[in-house]
Amino acid sequence: MQEYVNITIDGAKISAIRGTSVLDTAMEYGICIPHLCHYPGLSDIGACRLCIVEHIVNGKAKVTASCTLNVAEGMVIRTDTDRIKRLRRNIAELLVAQAPNSRAIQDVAVRCGVKQVRYPFHNDNCVLCGRCVRVCAEMWQAKALGFVGRGKDRHVDFPFGRKPDFCKSCNTCIDICPMTITPCPGPMKTGEEYLCLACEGQLIMADSLPGACVWCDLGKGFQCARQVQAG
Amino acid sequence: MSENVFETILENRCSQPQQLIEVLQDVQETFGYISEEAMTAVSKELGVPVIEVYRVANYYKAFSLAPRGRHVITVCMGTACHVRGAPRMLDEVRGQLGIEPGQTTSDKMFTLERVNCLGACALGPVVVLDGKYYPGMTPNKLRKLVQSVRQAEKEVAADA
Amino acid sequence: MPKLKTLKDLTKFRESLAAQKEDVDCMVTISGGTCGNASGSLKVVEAMQSELASNGFAGRVHVRVTGCQGFCEQEPIVTIDPANIFYCRVSPDDVPEIVSETIRKNQVIERLLYTDPATGEKITKETDIPFYRAQDRVLLGLNRKIDPCNIEDYIAVGGYSALAKVLSGVTAEQVIQEIKSSGLRGRGGGGYPTGQKWQQCREAAGDEKYVICNADEGDPGAYMDRSVLEGNPHAILEGMLIGSYAVGANKGYIYVRNEYPLAVSNARKAIEQAKLFGFLGDDILGRHFFDIEIMRGAGAFVCGESTALMASLEGKVGEPRPKDVHTVQEGLWNKPTCLNNVETWANVPLIINKGAAWFASKGTKGSKGTKIFALTGRVKNTGLVEVAMGTSLRTIIHSIGGGPNDGVAIKAVQTGGPSGGCLPAEKFDLPVDFETLAEAGSMVGSGGMVVMDERTCMVDVAKYFIAFLQDESCGKCVPCRLGLGRMLEILTDITEGRGKPEQLDLLEDLGETMTHTCLCALGKTAANPVLSTLRYFRQEYESHIQDKYCSAGVCRELIQYSIDPNNCTGCGACLKACPNKAITGESEKPHRINQDLCSRCGICKDVCKFEAISIC
Repeated sequence: MQEYVNITIDGAKISAIRGTSVLDTAMEYGICIPHLCHYPGLSDIGACRLCIVEHIVNGKAKVTASCTLNVAEGMVIRTDTDRIKRLRRNIAELLVAQAPNSRAIQDVAVRCGVKQVRYPFHNDNCVLCGRCVRVCAEMWQAKALGFVGRGKDRHVDFPFGRKPDFCKSCNTCIDICPMTITPCPGPMKTGEEYLCLACEGQLIMADSLPGACVWCDLGKGFQCARQVQAG
Repeated sequence: MSENVFETILENRCSQPQQLIEVLQDVQETFGYISEEAMTAVSKELGVPVIEVYRVANYYKAFSLAPRGRHVITVCMGTACHVRGAPRMLDEVRGQLGIEPGQTTSDKMFTLERVNCLGACALGPVVVLDGKYYPGMTPNKLRKLVQSVRQAEKEVAADA
Repeated sequence: MPKLKTLKDLTKFRESLAAQKEDVDCMVTISGGTCGNASGSLKVVEAMQSELASNGFAGRVHVRVTGCQGFCEQEPIVTIDPANIFYCRVSPDDVPEIVSETIRKNQVIERLLYTDPATGEKITKETDIPFYRAQDRVLLGLNRKIDPCNIEDYIAVGGYSALAKVLSGVTAEQVIQEIKSSGLRGRGGGGYPTGQKWQQCREAAGDEKYVICNADEGDPGAYMDRSVLEGNPHAILEGMLIGSYAVGANKGYIYVRNEYPLAVSNARKAIEQAKLFGFLGDDILGRHFFDIEIMRGAGAFVCGESTALMASLEGKVGEPRPKDVHTVQEGLWNKPTCLNNVETWANVPLIINKGAAWFASKGTKGSKGTKIFALTGRVKNTGLVEVAMGTSLRTIIHSIGGGPNDGVAIKAVQTGGPSGGCLPAEKFDLPVDFETLAEAGSMVGSGGMVVMDERTCMVDVAKYFIAFLQDESCGKCVPCRLGLGRMLEILTDITEGRGKPEQLDLLEDLGETMTHTCLCALGKTAANPVLSTLRYFRQEYESHIQDKYCSAGVCRELIQYSIDPNNCTGCGACLKACPNKAITGESEKPHRINQDLCSRCGICKDVCKFEAISIC
């Protein structure tokens, strides 16, 4: 027996299922909120901060991640204010400057409106989205992977740095990883990284229908929840 | 011998995952570091997945996964100490020992650590050697302190 | 010692302690907190005890070892009552004279007295010390009268009477109302109204609730909580007992950072003694049951954040979680939890005993009561300072702190730790008040106040804090982990002469992004040191970028040390002191620095007695 609550997202009145997140509700209703660490079926950790929205409480707008915010009666949310767009763009810029060698990250950057990268490029092969860790722990209950280390030393590893015998090599961690798909023009060598704006055309379509999901190709790149759910 | 000590640490803590940090602290204090064997045993006894034990051991600065030197020198790098020249203490002891913070000298005599504030700020710069606090340090005093430890070890070795 | 079961029992016991005191001719108080011990006070204590014993004074002269009294640079401090004579920087060698002259004959030993740096006068009585007189030491002053390892001292000064008052007929709602009326706001940095937090916790659904004392004081430069927990642990126990009664909790935790071993051990002793006397456990004064456990941190600054602290208590890595649902609703083990800072808890018994109106009569409209600050850095009198909220920075830094050290002009004060900001000297007339400092771009924070002078480079200070935060960040969220990394990259560029003008706007843009989008308070406030120094000291950034010049002579890539051959006597002190073996020269001939090997640490300049080494 599902309970419903009434919330408002970008002016649209929505009947949301109690216990779901604002992000899930928005995506369900075809309102596009970019995201990366969110993956349907896995718990949400609010790590990438791309899904930020403004939560209006007592006239004040609080910026918060929509994947960890559960719907409540009377909630008012805005996903597309100028401030949110600017903040999201800055976060995507940090991501693409850090790990440009992935189609998913490049697509997220374009989708969030990044036009220039103001930092020197690095070429990391992990963005610590935690999808692999969560799928191993929650779907397979194996817990063969985890986040080890703190801060800039945080990385994904096996216990003691060695693949344990209880890892069944199911490879789901690899399938679900956003870094496994190289950018369309090919892998980037260290020192030759760049912001690939090839799919900017997709953005024009998204811009003309602000907030609405247009099943863009960019979404396929970063395994947008809607694309994944649709199969 | 060490197995008994280990059992004492785990006594009354079986199947209590929330005791993980306290247990690891006891292991650290007793053995000077946390070995893979220790982590595996703790994982079994407390009922915590081994990856979680490994995560906790790696996350907190108090835990060392490699054996430490016989003498631990800790340089406080808090704001008050920084403003009074703590980086020079670090330079001095780096030069003296030839190691970076977190490392141990090859003769296993010294481990160098840095800490982000010991709370003795009015006495800065502060250096701790083997648990004893040395206030108002200067690079000169620090050099002499390190030399005195080396001298003492030489004398002990000579007597032996 | 039979348990004290009622308010009457407690009152009678206190009276008996007062009667015992009359038999003591003389009380010698020696400060013995972590600072005191580091300065050698334990040896002074030993010397005093043995000297008194061998002179037949044991029994008539009591030695009391207290915690920190706040006048840290003068440690070890020995005060002799009833004459209230104050001796500072006492060494064990001074003890025989103290016993034979002051204790036996009431003669004052001039050389051990404190000299007022402003007037040059020697001050005899503790109550006349200007450093203390200018403060309002309602909380910290108690450390003076209490041996933390002896619960009787705490009872003698009125300890546990607030608890007894509450448990003899006051309702939980009335307690909460009293705390609300007092205007007490969290002393750990958040400044959240304490009464409101207690009310929310009380109203939260659930019959299993917790209270927590956050003693993970991680702000570098702040040690107020250490002093209160080390020196007066029962004040916290009593505060938590009252709080637990008010919110409906029966279990409490004190989470102490493991870098404070003395605080951990004193708090443990206090809990044991409180149990013995019936203040903890089942059947507390007939009305309440409550237990407290001490848990140690394991070296993570981020565990001072309430959700990370609770994760750590649960035996997990100390990673914060989003606070869309507050911890008063779902905290430790997802149960309603009331977490407060050490100083907040310690103020509770005072408010219950002296009344909310007394507390609210001090401070400003929005910030009531007193606050303890750790005044450190480039100022004459460093130590702990307790003043009413609303006192100006100038009063704290110049009147109480004594102003500049070494005659170098004070440039700025850093308040609020790594979450706070730097305020320039022109702003020193600002009152210390939660809203005022926040508007100015800093914050009251936990109470750390680091004074900086012309020898401090503000860009280096910003870099220092960002490096600290990067070290301590849990690393979970992108804007904190990557944002701090990029900020450090840019600040390193600027301090090493590779800065570009557009990087200043980038720092501000990135800082604003971090402030709004990071998951927890560590990330959300991480940009403050950069944003506040950009706001008030932009010209320092600009001169680093445009002129590659560091006016304070701190940024190593931008300075060079050189030896003036006219002043150099060839004594070789610098040669011996250099950790990089960068100095060469023959005895009694001018020495030279090899710039390729020189790391610009400055150790040579410190040891040179002939002023032959300078920065250019």
